[in-house]
Amino acid sequence: MRRIGNSAIAAVTLLALGSGTWLLHGAAGTPAPPPQPSAAQAATGTDRPGAAAPALPPSPPDRVRIPSIRVNAPLMGLGLTKSGSLDVPPADRKNLAGWYEAGTTPGERGTAIVAGHVDNAEGPAVFYDLGALKKGSSVEVDRRDGTVAEFTVDAVEVYEAKNFPDEKVYGAAARPELRVITCGGGYSRATGYRGNVVVFAHLTGSR
Amino acid sequence: MRRTARLLTGTALAVTAAGLAAAPAYGGEGAGRLEVYPSTVIPGDNVSVNTGACGADGAATGDASAVGAGRFALAPSAHEHDAIGQFEVPPSAQPGTYEIVARCEENGEQVTGDLVVALTATRDHTVPRGSVKTGVGGGLGADPVRTAAGVAALAVAAAGGTWLLHRRARGEGI
Repeated sequence: MRRIGNSAIAAVTLLALGSGTWLLHGAAGTPAPPPQPSAAQAATGTDRPGAAAPALPPSPPDRVRIPSIRVNAPLMGLGLTKSGSLDVPPADRKNLAGWYEAGTTPGERGTAIVAGHVDNAEGPAVFYDLGALKKGSSVEVDRRDGTVAEFTVDAVEVYEAKNFPDEKVYGAAARPELRVITCGGGYSRATGYRGNVVVFAHLTGSR
Repeated sequence: MRRTARLLTGTALAVTAAGLAAAPAYGGEGAGRLEVYPSTVIPGDNVSVNTGACGADGAATGDASAVGAGRFALAPSAHEHDAIGQFEVPPSAQPGTYEIVARCEENGEQVTGDLVVALTATRDHTVPRGSVKTGVGGGLGADPVRTAAGVAALAVAAAGGTWLLHRRARGEGI
């Protein structure tokens, strides 16, 4: 009887040692924080990029692709939270982005908004590398009418949540524009990510 | 059942018309529906419709004469093999809910969807504000829960080890 008790305790001890080591080792093997845009990618105010392509008729988007950072993700419709901020896709679907369904569709004249997670509890998510995007990169959106809206990046900015430039990010535009938003701007365990990385792009073609 | 569904659709459309105007409207169920986008428009707007009811590479003929836009063609597309078409709501259209119809050329199936014409634009008026909660820090690793679990497990191991050593020291035989 005593022998069985001893064996059980020895087994539990070894198991606890093993799992404890594994848990702490896994947690220590941390990937780097998500890339953040450099000042060179910010809008300068002087570089008015070339004319936009003609606006497309409204059609909801189905998929977003950003080849330079290997993004290829389906899009779901997003609404607003009670506080009026843009809602987000379910965090457990790491390769799912969303678009603001009550707003402009990507390719149509105005400001279309796409958002996705930089990470979830398991690790990096769909827009983890968004902050590494460069001016001039292309963003493509598959639309339900069969067309592909082709956008070119004008700027990649990072904003603090407490001083978020709503008008600049969400405000109306006279040409077809796109915003792609994810979390960023430094991370603290108490408050999470301090702000958002925002990609500004405008329509330069379609096919 | 169908009646209930219809009523629910009607209610949903009323809500849609009241504010959020861009959700697609569905007439009927499953593959036999005609998606109308946007589902709420103002006179003069362009509307795009699509359906998967006509099968792969199936074309269809659309009828928007209820709203005064007449007939239009739906052509097969690369998008999930849907048949897709567009029409313009006449500037003279009156506010109301109109049924848009499409009939598949090959299998003759008919699908419908509702279009709401409003007097003034309701789209783009509500824009989001503030930042977006799109991360929890999981990409940084070092999940505090995981760290705590690891520390707890090591504490258990230490306790077990100590206990066993004590027994051995007292000659209780391991």
